[in-house]
Amino acid sequence: MTFLQALIDATSAGAVYALAALGIGLVFGVMRLANFANGELITGAGYALILLWPVSWPLAIVASIVVAVALALFMDAAVFRWIRSQPPATLLIASFGVSILLQRVYDGVFGTNVLSAAVAPALASSVTIGGLRVNLISVVSIVLGAVLLVGMHVFLTRTRMGLQVRAASEDFRAARVLGIRAGSVIALTFALSGILAAAIAFVLTAQSGSVGPTFGVQVTLFALIGSAIGGLGRLGGSVFGGFIVGFAVSMFTTWLPDWINDFRIAFVYLLVAVVLVIAPNGLFAGRHSKERT
Amino acid sequence: MTTSPAPRRRFTGITIPEPLARLWTLAVPLLVVWVVSLATSFVSQTAAIDLGYALANLIIVVAMWTFIGNSGVLSFGHIAFVAVGAWTLSLLTIPPNIKSAIMPDLFPFLAQASASPFVALLIAALVAGLVALLSGLALMRLNGLEAGIATFALLMLVVQILTYWKQIGPKAGQSMTGLPRSFDLQSILFIALAVIALAWLYGQSRSARMLRASRDNVQAAPASGIRVTLHRLIAFTVSGALAGIGGAVWVQLNGVAQASQFSLDFTFTTIAMLVVGGMLSMWGAVVGALAISALSHVLGLFEKGLQLGDVVVSLPSGSRLITLGAIMVIILIFRPSGITGVERRPGRSSPASLR
Repeated sequence: MTFLQALIDATSAGAVYALAALGIGLVFGVMRLANFANGELITGAGYALILLWPVSWPLAIVASIVVAVALALFMDAAVFRWIRSQPPATLLIASFGVSILLQRVYDGVFGTNVLSAAVAPALASSVTIGGLRVNLISVVSIVLGAVLLVGMHVFLTRTRMGLQVRAASEDFRAARVLGIRAGSVIALTFALSGILAAAIAFVLTAQSGSVGPTFGVQVTLFALIGSAIGGLGRLGGSVFGGFIVGFAVSMFTTWLPDWINDFRIAFVYLLVAVVLVIAPNGLFAGRHSKERT
Repeated sequence: MTTSPAPRRRFTGITIPEPLARLWTLAVPLLVVWVVSLATSFVSQTAAIDLGYALANLIIVVAMWTFIGNSGVLSFGHIAFVAVGAWTLSLLTIPPNIKSAIMPDLFPFLAQASASPFVALLIAALVAGLVALLSGLALMRLNGLEAGIATFALLMLVVQILTYWKQIGPKAGQSMTGLPRSFDLQSILFIALAVIALAWLYGQSRSARMLRASRDNVQAAPASGIRVTLHRLIAFTVSGALAGIGGAVWVQLNGVAQASQFSLDFTFTTIAMLVVGGMLSMWGAVVGALAISALSHVLGLFEKGLQLGDVVVSLPSGSRLITLGAIMVIILIFRPSGITGVERRPGRSSPASLR
């Protein structure tokens, strides 16, 4: 029974990381930007949730989405729009710079200490389903992850704007020639990554109840690494890679014996190394991967 | 390389033979570093202290250039080799009685090991190079961009191991103290000059030339029989060893070694130096490291509060990294090849791009 409980917890952790990887993968697909600063969108939304939840919870949720989307659009307008034609490595370095810069800004504005508040305290309780004690927050994050993943899939395959985003991520230049407005498609993907970041921030703040300047770094790092081993060129690959890494983190935390449990994160990175040796082009190498060696 | 062959260069009417012209790319950085160091050590006491750190960062940035500049593949993981170098030097130079007091769980051979500072420096380079070789075997199989991202994993892995493995260091969250100051400013300067020379020598090698060919055209190089992965691995190993030297120098300046110091902030500072200077030439690495160190020194003075006439100007702490981040982003937008970089000329395919 404990195994099933651990499986549910691991699935919920995997769902959160998959959402982060989806946000990164969407932006990467359209403009070859592996956005390290995605973590600071999560942090920004986290601050909004922590600061406003005691005031009014609907306001906090709306504000977190608005903050993350606005920040994502601002990043695009202020930095990434101007270096769109640069190679992916330059974009990655720039996003790393934006990330560190925003972390220091959060330091300056909110202080280096973590801010705490109970976000969605009702979710901290656990329910018993058929003899299994399951954290409500695990269920919520699985459901939220599934809904957003399916919603994003429907949006990308069924709606006009979604099709434009996919066309742009297949071949940006050809899409432009065919009359897709590049600026708005890119802005749209940034906005979507902001919405996903707000969802991640909700789950993480409900779990921990506190936010610091580097709140979003860990999940972003794992999601990026997951995307890299899943194959950045393909959306499904990066989502699956993110899920695997999150799943592994949770599983190692539960099952490693005490004397070696401190090394759980190290084991995750070792697992990544092993996957790289087995599948050097990523588990689901996209068709672009050859060109970008 | 896409540049046209130029066996002889004309310079104010005199024809300079190619080897001499090439030596120029070594002599200028050496001379500039030497002159800047000499001048700085006279400015003030704080400037002399910061100079030590500037030289340590210079070594690390030159080491990073050895891989990033020649291969065109990003690495965010070099601070891992810096950490390994720092750890090795600390374990070899801290007196055994202090070691047994702060690290009771150390492996016996580590508890007894000690070496003279320069021998310890060489061992630090060897160990860091070995770690680079082993990790490179996995990392270098990846595509360029994915490899860059995966080097984050390497950094985190090494930091986690150094934090928690009691047999090779202090308990989690604690630091190694009692590190003797083995190198004075003069010897650090000579170490830095030696590292520049070594990086330059590597840059002249056949392997480095093939690697640069693969950087400039990743399709043509393998088609011409260049084993890209092998040469990337060689560069990664050399650059890891040099970064280990940088870490050893840095930690003995710092006097304290703690795993959490080898962070993303450290990674960012050194990457910013490389980007601002221009990552395709060693000259760019040198200029970037010196320029950002100077700027960082001045901002550090302002953070403490600087008397300008009658007013004391002081910046909030943390403004150093904000300024650095802003400068890096601005450079990437307006001059992506760095301050030393050559601007792209129209109608000619430029090698000045990083994949």
